[in-house]
Amino acid sequence: MARKAQSHLPQSIRLRSGNQMMAEGALQAGCMFFAGYPITPATGIFKTMIDLLPAKGGIALSAPDEISAIAYCIGASMRGSRSMTATSGPGWALMIESIQYALMTETPLVVSLVQRLGPSTGGATQGAQGDVLLAEFCTSGGYTLPVLCPTNASECYELTILAFTWAELLRMPVILLSDKETGMTIESVDFSSLPRSTAQNRPSNFAFRDLGTHNRTERKGTYYFDALHEIPPFAPVGGDRKVTATGSAHDKQGRLQKNSTETIDVLKHLEQKISWRRDDFVSVVSDLQPSATTLVVSYGVTARAARSAVQQARNAGERISLLVIHSLFPIPVKKLAHALQGVDTVLVAEENMSGLYRSVLERYCKGAKVRGVNKIGAMITPEEILEAVFEEPWQPA
Amino acid sequence: MATGITSILPIHSTYLVDNPRFPFCKGCGHTSVLRRLNEALVELQVPPHRLALVTDIGCIGLADGLFKELHTIHTTHGRSTAFATGIALADSVLDGGSLKTVVLIGDGGAMIGLQHLVHAAMLNIDVTVLICNNFVYGMTGGQGSSVTPECFVTATTPYGNIVPPVDLCTILQASHAPFVARTMATDPSFPELLRQAIAFKGFSVIEVLELCTEFAVPSNELDGRKLRDIAGRNGWTLGLLTDRKDRTAFAERWNEKQKERHQGPVPHDEILRPAGKVPQLKHALSVVIAGSAGERIQSSAGLVCAAAVASGLYISQKNDNPVTQGSGFSASELWWSPEEIGFTGIQRPDIVLVTSADGLRDVQSRSIPERLGSSSAMYIDDSLPAPETGGKLHRFPFRQVFGFKEAALGALVFAVMKHHVMSREILQSVLHERYRGNVDKLFAKVDRLEETGMEVRA
Repeated sequence: MARKAQSHLPQSIRLRSGNQMMAEGALQAGCMFFAGYPITPATGIFKTMIDLLPAKGGIALSAPDEISAIAYCIGASMRGSRSMTATSGPGWALMIESIQYALMTETPLVVSLVQRLGPSTGGATQGAQGDVLLAEFCTSGGYTLPVLCPTNASECYELTILAFTWAELLRMPVILLSDKETGMTIESVDFSSLPRSTAQNRPSNFAFRDLGTHNRTERKGTYYFDALHEIPPFAPVGGDRKVTATGSAHDKQGRLQKNSTETIDVLKHLEQKISWRRDDFVSVVSDLQPSATTLVVSYGVTARAARSAVQQARNAGERISLLVIHSLFPIPVKKLAHALQGVDTVLVAEENMSGLYRSVLERYCKGAKVRGVNKIGAMITPEEILEAVFEEPWQPA
Repeated sequence: MATGITSILPIHSTYLVDNPRFPFCKGCGHTSVLRRLNEALVELQVPPHRLALVTDIGCIGLADGLFKELHTIHTTHGRSTAFATGIALADSVLDGGSLKTVVLIGDGGAMIGLQHLVHAAMLNIDVTVLICNNFVYGMTGGQGSSVTPECFVTATTPYGNIVPPVDLCTILQASHAPFVARTMATDPSFPELLRQAIAFKGFSVIEVLELCTEFAVPSNELDGRKLRDIAGRNGWTLGLLTDRKDRTAFAERWNEKQKERHQGPVPHDEILRPAGKVPQLKHALSVVIAGSAGERIQSSAGLVCAAAVASGLYISQKNDNPVTQGSGFSASELWWSPEEIGFTGIQRPDIVLVTSADGLRDVQSRSIPERLGSSSAMYIDDSLPAPETGGKLHRFPFRQVFGFKEAALGALVFAVMKHHVMSREILQSVLHERYRGNVDKLFAKVDRLEETGMEVRA
């Protein structure tokens, strides 16, 4: 949308945490249902929804635990409303059962996972990026779940809208992977630069409030598709078309069925509907330099240190590229391949012990040496990334 | 039920599929439960697309396939009531409440999802739950459950159960469930109770005692009369146990509150518009302020950050405190910068402000004083011992001059002025707008602190 620039300074600023911006992004996306359970560092999302959603005509309420919270959201989504919950590692552990259910029943859902230091209850007020694989590979069978990862408060807003769009279009759960620093740090956010668009609708011939007055197009079952990648039109529970939903292995009608060709096709379809579209469901920021031989890859809060480190390295005369990945999954293979041209060293900076995301990126970085910049207990600093770039202690200019 | 829709619907003589084949063992109570359910729906002429049948895991969960036009949602073990609650909440609050939701759950699922039942009862959403209690897990080989009676022989209690069973109805009564009944699948009272439960506007639950003919019956020489005896021995009264008219449905109460919400005050959230085109500050400045809970450390930092934005700066603010929130230290880490802020960490802050012993302990625990270089300044309350630091240390009577509640804001304003972060006018105008205390008096104290040389030498 074209805006008239008044001056070089942003004109409408509010002080907001990433958590608040995620909630406001959800409102903008048309979220009408939020159920939550408080947990540091994700509580800010819950609290903002409690404060703002009812005034928009939606419902935000407190569930007795995380299992109930996510189940309420899935039920509400099946009834036809855009739904979201938010948690941190310990709550995520409880939600995994129902994430799988949402995947299997093709129910749109947005879950924000604001990471803290683990394992177990870990450190409630310590940041970390240790849940990236726990988020992605939480389903039996390792189905691709979209994971979007913001680096600042504005992106919390933008990526939440995108998460709703993806959840609705793909009819599946989408994970917003934030972290304590991104979620709880308050920043000056330029509201005039935020997107005004809402999220797109789930593919449906049947509107939530429109009961029975519709042109009745042929619909062959709750999960019907012809090609494996097709997304079945959504019909709400309570609408004029029978819904047969199940978390058990089923045919295209949603009928319980074991091991038939059709049932196995449904399982393949659950993966195909996302992997077939992997080049369309991408969000990265590529800051590439021609003839760069080093590529820094980062995400979330660490991407901010990476941006600063790359700038300083360039100031020191280094040819170096940066790839900040918002859409961690599906892995943005094409964007990565493009960034890798001419590169012999890849540095993946992330705040976890062993390089979790690096472990899945490596197979797409053939021909380049892949190293990690890793740390737990505190944010990775630009200096630590620079030391990895130059392989010697960094002396600031 | 939505008017206008009911009138155009044909009369429903059954909700079951043609020639239904009940997938249960011979004599299993589940078959009668589902037949009675169908009959109740026929009597009530529920529009089929206005009924959601939510089923749990276990034998009773196989009910889905038997119903033709109802919406069926087969869920995970124990969670059926929670998914049903989400459906009912969205339906009743967001769409006027035209849907009836019925849950079929076994005794195993009821115990796994006990809190879902409890919360649904507390909320009083329009959901009817049938707990099909046959005392064992039939699908996995007749293991005992939490409602297995004492002395009962099951696969997991081969010498007889020694743990007393839980009374689900009593728990749900204590959870304010407005409609609670207990009966046997074959009891003549069941159909009428079922009709009442489904017609009830709000949360209704029936615990249906059943015979598991495959496992419970052979091991325990069980029959209908013995089942009644077991109920009697455990004090499980049969019949309608609770029928409360005094509970309002959740959606109704929510909507009442909604009116209040719209009349309530709008939180103060003004857009900040940078006044000057060029900010006064030329380089990014990092600040750590630490004190005690209750000193308004974090809210004071927020006020000064708002002023920083109004003066054209970018800010970031990170707050920290112990998990108990209301005790011990309270701290904020701030960046004020003429350029967009990248990395928000602060290794060697330019300015450190400490207003109390809690605050000093906090910055010392993070080795902040010793990490400071000569270009950094540390301002601490004069009541505190001087820490070892590489920065310039200044001691001022912040608490004495500003008092406990204003020491943090006073110290911050003092530092902002001293380091020329922004103009006095902008800071004053933002504080006038957002701060409830006396801004003029505060500034007078800041001036006094600066002009009268109240710095205390170590």
